[in-house]
Amino acid sequence: MSIQEKIVNGPGYAIAPIDDLKCFEKLRDVITEKLQSNKSEIDINELRLKMTSMSKSEINNIMISLLSFNQASEIMLNSCKNIVKELAGDEVFVQRRANTIFNLPGKDQRRQWPHYELMSGISPFTYVIWAPFHDLDDKGGVFYINQTESFETIKKEHEQGLVNGPTILNKNYDEKPVKLKYGEVIIFSPFILHGNIDFNSNKARIACSIRFQSIDKPLMQKNSDFYKYYKINE
Amino acid sequence: MTTATVTTDIHIGHFKIPSNGQNMIMNDYARRNNISVEFVIPEPIMSNQLATTLWCHEDYNFSHIVLCSIHQLPKDKKKIENFIKKTKDVEFHFALEGIKGKGEFFLNNCFKEAEVFYKAKKIDSLKTDWIELYKLFKDSKNK
Repeated sequence: MSIQEKIVNGPGYAIAPIDDLKCFEKLRDVITEKLQSNKSEIDINELRLKMTSMSKSEINNIMISLLSFNQASEIMLNSCKNIVKELAGDEVFVQRRANTIFNLPGKDQRRQWPHYELMSGISPFTYVIWAPFHDLDDKGGVFYINQTESFETIKKEHEQGLVNGPTILNKNYDEKPVKLKYGEVIIFSPFILHGNIDFNSNKARIACSIRFQSIDKPLMQKNSDFYKYYKINE
Repeated sequence: MTTATVTTDIHIGHFKIPSNGQNMIMNDYARRNNISVEFVIPEPIMSNQLATTLWCHEDYNFSHIVLCSIHQLPKDKKKIENFIKKTKDVEFHFALEGIKGKGEFFLNNCFKEAEVFYKAKKIDSLKTDWIELYKLFKDSKNK
């Protein structure tokens, strides 16, 4: 089953290996270097350890400061060149500012509550690529609800005139975060419900994500404020 | 060093931003980037040539010009060529896109990018719902 087939007619998401791991490694190292006080040795696990003692606002400030690292989305896109081409061709609108996401272990940490990406105003033709900067060997990953169940929940809320309301937020999810390995990505449609749960670990989880779509497909509310035009070269 | 912000018509490409909203966006951008604004140019509505900005630039020789978006650049190729010629030493900032640069290459790229976005098809979110959007997604991929 192709990635597209899995996303459209299968579970709504697919796991695939990164096409160019060296390129992705560069992204991981640049981000790690930006955040490490000791610049001589780039170590993602050291950074993950250090982050567990940071406050929520410190983490938030770091995430905001990384938004100005404009090249991140291009590097991410080029790391997954073949995946992007299969899904959207070689001329795409890609998120200007890739998201680098930090999740801290323990209770009451900041986390993504269950949601589907379409609620943000991206078009239904958008795909999301999410990749961790290390192996996910605990429950620090993201859980994904299959397409049928996700859409049934969206439909139920739609009938009640709600969007991402209590049905979605309070739903009892069978919370099993996907255990990706470093070098793997998960690609999913904007209709897939997903989120994080509390997890136990001595390290934070660090991941990066981008959204993209073909320039031949219609945009919705997100425009040049969110996307940039990008042509993938061989 | 003279920095100007420019407000334009409420219709900015796909966006609809009233001038006080435009000011808020540009001033917040300026604050975040340590830019001190000295000059505020109100372009007339229903005009997309940035002609007032060019006239003011002749007198005040701006070093930086802040706009809300690349969609505020002139749409006409001749007008943009003239605009580029007269502002080649000015550093432009586009707050919503979060980009900055100066010179022909940079402005031409911004102009071209605005054109790609302008030509892209759009879904009017006021005329659709979640069910229809899902159908669109499934149908287009299964064709």
